[in-house]
Amino acid sequence: MTCQEFQLHRAAYVDGELGVDETLAAEAHVGECPQCRDLAEQERRFRLLLRRQPRESAPPEFRARLLARCHQEARWRRRRAWLIAVTPMVAVAALLLALLMPGFRASPSLIPDLVAAHIAYAEIERPAEFASDDRAQVAAWFQDRAGLRVVVPDYTPAGIRLIGARIAEVRGRRAAYVLYEKGHALLSVFVVPAAEAEDRLAGRPVTYRGQAYVTEERKGYRAVAWTDGLAIFGLVSGLDYEALLECADRLRQARAGEA
Amino acid sequence: MQLVWGVGGDPTEEFESVALPHLDTLYRSALRLTHNRAEAEDVVQETYLRAFRSFHRFNPGTNARAWLFTILRNAFLNRLRHAKREVHEEEATGDDAAAESATLASEGDSPEDEFFHTVLHGDVDRALKTLPLVFREAVILTDLEGLTYRETSQVLGCPIGTVMSRLSRGRSLLRQALRRYAREHGYLRGRE
Repeated sequence: MTCQEFQLHRAAYVDGELGVDETLAAEAHVGECPQCRDLAEQERRFRLLLRRQPRESAPPEFRARLLARCHQEARWRRRRAWLIAVTPMVAVAALLLALLMPGFRASPSLIPDLVAAHIAYAEIERPAEFASDDRAQVAAWFQDRAGLRVVVPDYTPAGIRLIGARIAEVRGRRAAYVLYEKGHALLSVFVVPAAEAEDRLAGRPVTYRGQAYVTEERKGYRAVAWTDGLAIFGLVSGLDYEALLECADRLRQARAGEA
Repeated sequence: MQLVWGVGGDPTEEFESVALPHLDTLYRSALRLTHNRAEAEDVVQETYLRAFRSFHRFNPGTNARAWLFTILRNAFLNRLRHAKREVHEEEATGDDAAAESATLASEGDSPEDEFFHTVLHGDVDRALKTLPLVFREAVILTDLEGLTYRETSQVLGCPIGTVMSRLSRGRSLLRQALRRYAREHGYLRGRE
């Protein structure tokens, strides 16, 4: 092997990626050429420098959270498999009910409307009508602007930043819309007055910290919604369910704290 | 998703025994790709959920590490695409680094690096950040996490020859950055 040939193979030689024949040829060359030996040695030291960088481990609490999330996913899967088996029976029952009760007609769920609003605002450059990361200012703005008393929870411990507020229209009703951001992912919190009796939340029922929620995944976004008193609350984001449920729980706690 | 789950032992346990041993290496790499703990955790969590959902397609005995890294990379790139601003940032740093390396071309590519012992804690990560993504990911996988050329080519979805040329370019850019820091730290004098 000539010096030139060795230079071509040097990186792979140091990485231990040459075939047997090439390795032997390279070793023979290094044995007789001090310059190439020196270069290979330098190259090896550079690899060692990179390989010896601090090897950080995943934080234990993250590991625990990840495991819990995987177990939750496994439970959902089992439940879904069961639901698929039961669904035809439920469909027959619903059909019978509809036939027996001419007035019975389920209205569409509110969640798709919230997801559609989220998508619409996620696409514009400055989604907040009133931009502020101050919770008191945002609450005051809702009060001034629409006479709405809105509790604005603090999600900063979860790395979720308040970016502002707007008044959104959902089913022709004025709804409070609080906007948060995690990285570049938008988190929408809607508060829709539940004036109409036909408001319905369809989706997968979930219990989190003893509270009941309805969840649904649509168009790549996840929604968590619930009814509380005279309002329907809906959180929509690309964030995972665990983050959304945690945010929902904090919002409930903040409301309970203010009441 | 259906019957496969009924075969053998508990699929969740099986998944954990295959995937969890790689958590640390995935987490570290996610951290080096995103430069942000919360985002790294999101990317890794997404990786595990995606892996869990497609575990029935995973062939036992094949390379779990490369499989997981492939999912991690897709999850990361997906996020980049969603956060358009960040993609632009990536492209911008790519241009910068290319321009920078052009001006430093005279420093050459040789590994005669007497300054290695002066590299300070954090310098390598700082230097990695200056690398355009295509070179950074090759260096992270092969040099920091010890994947073979073949595994890296599998994760990046490109031929081994491409892995080698990206590694060569990435390492060279990395050396240049480290040499610059050594100069800043006062360990290395400027050269003519």
